[in-house]
Amino acid sequence: MNTIEEKLWNYIDGTCSPAEQDAIARLIEQDGAYAQKYQELLALNQEFAAIELDEPPMAFTYKVMKAIRTENAMQPLKANIDKRIILGIAIFFVFTILALLTFTFANIHISGINISAADIKLPAGVKLPSTNSIFSGPLVKWFLIFDVVLALFLTDAYLRRKKTAKQL
Amino acid sequence: MQSKLSDIELIEQTLAGNQSAYADLVKRHQRFVFTLAMRFAKGREDAEEIAQDCFIKAYRSLASFQGQSKFSTWLYSIVYTTAMTFLRKKRVATDSIDDENTFIQVESRESGYDTNNIENKSRSFYLNQAIAQLLPDDATIITLFYKGEQSLEEIAQALGMETNTVKVKLFRARQRLKEKLEHNLKQEVKELI
Repeated sequence: MNTIEEKLWNYIDGTCSPAEQDAIARLIEQDGAYAQKYQELLALNQEFAAIELDEPPMAFTYKVMKAIRTENAMQPLKANIDKRIILGIAIFFVFTILALLTFTFANIHISGINISAADIKLPAGVKLPSTNSIFSGPLVKWFLIFDVVLALFLTDAYLRRKKTAKQL
Repeated sequence: MQSKLSDIELIEQTLAGNQSAYADLVKRHQRFVFTLAMRFAKGREDAEEIAQDCFIKAYRSLASFQGQSKFSTWLYSIVYTTAMTFLRKKRVATDSIDDENTFIQVESRESGYDTNNIENKSRSFYLNQAIAQLLPDDATIITLFYKGEQSLEEIAQALGMETNTVKVKLFRARQRLKEKLEHNLKQEVKELI
């Protein structure tokens, strides 16, 4: 149940329905207590509307813009790189790989069903490095250890960033 | 001199790389943002920190502003969340209207005024004094409603509340403000006598 004051505030704010508005307007006209309260609240409403805003310091805008400029200057290089450049490099590599694959498959001569007997002809002067020495036991182990450490480091950095973003 | 461009036009220019357009936006809204920050902070330094933080946050997320609401409504929601985070971090005591210490705080905030000279005080001084004694939520709702040109729906959006909740809170805030105003004026009359 709304109090008289609540009804009158709704009437002053214009937040009540047209029917309620008519009813309250009639009450103000007919009832002295309503009329008195209405005048009191109306005066209060005018007074509240005259609240003065606080003035920020003179250099406020300058400080904000300076902070923004500093933040922009401190942005990591990766945030400033044009994404189109990255896309261009990616397209270049994709085309190079595709061209290399096309060239390689064009030079493969498959005879019969025996895949192992495939005769791959490399261009003259191109020699493939010996892979046996590269994929020796210790090297693969160190490579895997490095991968695990890198994965842990990146996961930690990602989780830290997420936590910081949540706190902000 | 402030720009005659609308908020949306200034935002578009800012997003296109014109930083002076954002400076115009800051100039346009700084008084109100600072006043809202004052409703939460104890001193001008803290309020300045909150207000500055709000404008930096708004700048960072300007691209995400959809334009579905007024820029001011969107900005005030940032002010509200930033101020709440600030309060949580600083553990500022949100003074109850019954708290006796509130009077000490108000006097220190308005130290530029002679508190004993009633003749020099305008009615608006008492009003600002009474607002400073309200809870931050009440003071914010009153300020947004009367000075922020925000409807109840927009205030609800800015504060992340239901419109009806804001309506009830506004009613209670007005009652408390009225009580505080009357109380302060009575105190001044008593001191004079």
